[in-house]
Amino acid sequence: MNEEGKVVTKQMIAGRPKLLVRQTAGFVYCPGCHEPVTARAIAEALDEIGMGDRTIGVFDIGCNSFLLGLLDIDAILTPHGRPPDMATAVKRVHPDNIVFTVQGDGGLLSIGADPLLGALTRAEKITIIMLNNAVYGTTGGQMAPTSLVGQKTTTTPQGRDMTQTGFPAHAAEMIATFKGAAYSARGAFNTPANYQRTRRYIKTAFQKQMNKVGLSFVEVLCACPANWRLSPTESLKWIEEKMIPEFPLGEFKNVAKIE
Amino acid sequence: MLKGEVVIDEEQCQGCGYCVKFCSRQCIVIAGDKFNKQGFLLPSVVKPEECSACGICAWMCPAAAIEVYKVSSKAQV
Amino acid sequence: MGKRMFIEGNVAIGFGAANADCQAFFGYPITPQNEIIEWFAREFPKMGRIFVQTQSELGSINMLYGAAATGIRAMTSTSSPGWSLMQETVSDMANAELPCVIVNVQRGGPGGGPIRHAQMDYLQCTRGGGHGDYRNIVLAPASAQECCDLMQLAFYLADKYRNPVVVMSDAIIGRLRETVEVERIEFGPVPDKDWAVKGKANHKDGKRRLVEHSGDLFGRYPSYQALLQRLQQKIRQMQESELRYEDYEAEDAKLILVAYGYTARVAKEAVNIARAEGIKTGLIRLITAWPFPHQVIREKAVRGCKFLVVEDSLGQVVEDVRCAVEGRAEVHLVGILDRHIPTDGGMILPDKVFDKIKEIQ
Repeated sequence: MNEEGKVVTKQMIAGRPKLLVRQTAGFVYCPGCHEPVTARAIAEALDEIGMGDRTIGVFDIGCNSFLLGLLDIDAILTPHGRPPDMATAVKRVHPDNIVFTVQGDGGLLSIGADPLLGALTRAEKITIIMLNNAVYGTTGGQMAPTSLVGQKTTTTPQGRDMTQTGFPAHAAEMIATFKGAAYSARGAFNTPANYQRTRRYIKTAFQKQMNKVGLSFVEVLCACPANWRLSPTESLKWIEEKMIPEFPLGEFKNVAKIE
Repeated sequence: MLKGEVVIDEEQCQGCGYCVKFCSRQCIVIAGDKFNKQGFLLPSVVKPEECSACGICAWMCPAAAIEVYKVSSKAQV
Repeated sequence: MGKRMFIEGNVAIGFGAANADCQAFFGYPITPQNEIIEWFAREFPKMGRIFVQTQSELGSINMLYGAAATGIRAMTSTSSPGWSLMQETVSDMANAELPCVIVNVQRGGPGGGPIRHAQMDYLQCTRGGGHGDYRNIVLAPASAQECCDLMQLAFYLADKYRNPVVVMSDAIIGRLRETVEVERIEFGPVPDKDWAVKGKANHKDGKRRLVEHSGDLFGRYPSYQALLQRLQQKIRQMQESELRYEDYEAEDAKLILVAYGYTARVAKEAVNIARAEGIKTGLIRLITAWPFPHQVIREKAVRGCKFLVVEDSLGQVVEDVRCAVEGRAEVHLVGILDRHIPTDGGMILPDKVFDKIKEIQ
């Protein structure tokens, strides 16, 4: 009771989601990185649908590997590019669990291309989450399949030259063309409104899996300040001005049944 | 009477500035006057009376270092 | 007179390859050799040479197969996990008799392992690495200078024998900055590449050329056994002619250290410390990890020497030394479990090696 005779109550309305583990040795991601924000969205989605205890994460080599310490769920670390293969096997063994992967754009669209195509054509009922930061992050910022034309990276020091190295790949649109895909969307975390939308996309993707429809996919445009050599807030601007025009946000496919 | 309260876990904070950017009332500022063991410049809630407990700073924090409380008071019956 | 530079081993690899007229580099990012792919990304386009960042190590090694099949000098670079991924195609290239150079900047294992140094790929590199019976020549640089020079030797040997050559570095040699004289080394002439694929119009006889990795299915050899006989002959020729090692104070030594790469430098220092104390030790430093100096070690064993292998692994080179001494000598090991600290940054240090030297005496 305060001095005016009133009772003051405090109710937490936003904080660390249950499934996100507090890092005791200090936070491991680069400042401003959107990978842990994706983890937050995943944690909130799993919590909302009550599946935190019946979820298995399959994470690729790269910055995604730190998710093993960040998300309080069963998880597997895979060789580079292979999560769709491992997820296929795990889902076949535990069909009652949500099985989802988290991979980078390099891990999914380069070395992961054959596992991806395998999972898509077999219409595996898994969820693939791809973090698109337009570079290979963990190894220091080399060109990735989604690097923009003209983008300077450590292996395209003069800028990505379309005559030599082609054009950025659009995963969400491409996956939407496969019959075995039940859901394909692209989100971002550069604004609060986009955060809420992307969190809904992830939840929808998990629900597609629970309803046994087909493969569900969410691409997330992720700030990577360290490798873009920008500050966190400058990175948000880069997403808005450079990435979103190339990679539009939204749902590209959303079906309730595949036949 | 405060409507909302923002609590920042200074050990986890990485000084990225998203909370500063996204607070619609500009309640939070990185003044450069304090930093944590890892060397990150820490934010401070300089206008606590403006906080509306929208929770946006918490959603956008990559380190999940922010807790937002809705504060309410009622008369003791 | 060459150009004097202060560069790390990984960068020296690039300069060496350029001096050897390597025309194509295919690679995929993997720590601790990203400096190599980034050097080629910067420099090769300027030289009008081919650079491709591939979609995976499978892409790298298969593109290398393709380039090597056209007869140009080509290479790839990777680290231990990527090296594992490449093995099927390396085996294919040994069958197809394609010259190529593969750099493996070793890192810890097994598995994803730490991204820092180790010396655990010795057995795999020196035994071919993939399925089937073949051998790679394996060169082991122990300095940034050797990274530059051995790369040039690698391309020469690859062409001479029509065989894969592996340059087996490690994360320490790769990232260590040292003074390097970047100089073009001239080797002898290499065999003609009339077998290479380049379009019938580009062949003097107008007849087609095939590059395949079966051996006898398309008449390259009259039978499977004929292919194996040729491979056997090649292995013997490489063993007889291409052995390289450094003898450091080993002439009158009673205790011989055996090492390669970064641990060879550690061993050298330990030899110096021991000699200062009057202990007669010496070092046989492997410059070719394959061929291995079996005969040299056998002779020393016959003369009553003891051996101490210094390698950053659980024990791989030590197996070859035990084999070479044919039961005649004591063989000891200072290995990865003797590092100065248990984390992935731990190293084998000279004082630990010297302690072992004293213990063996």
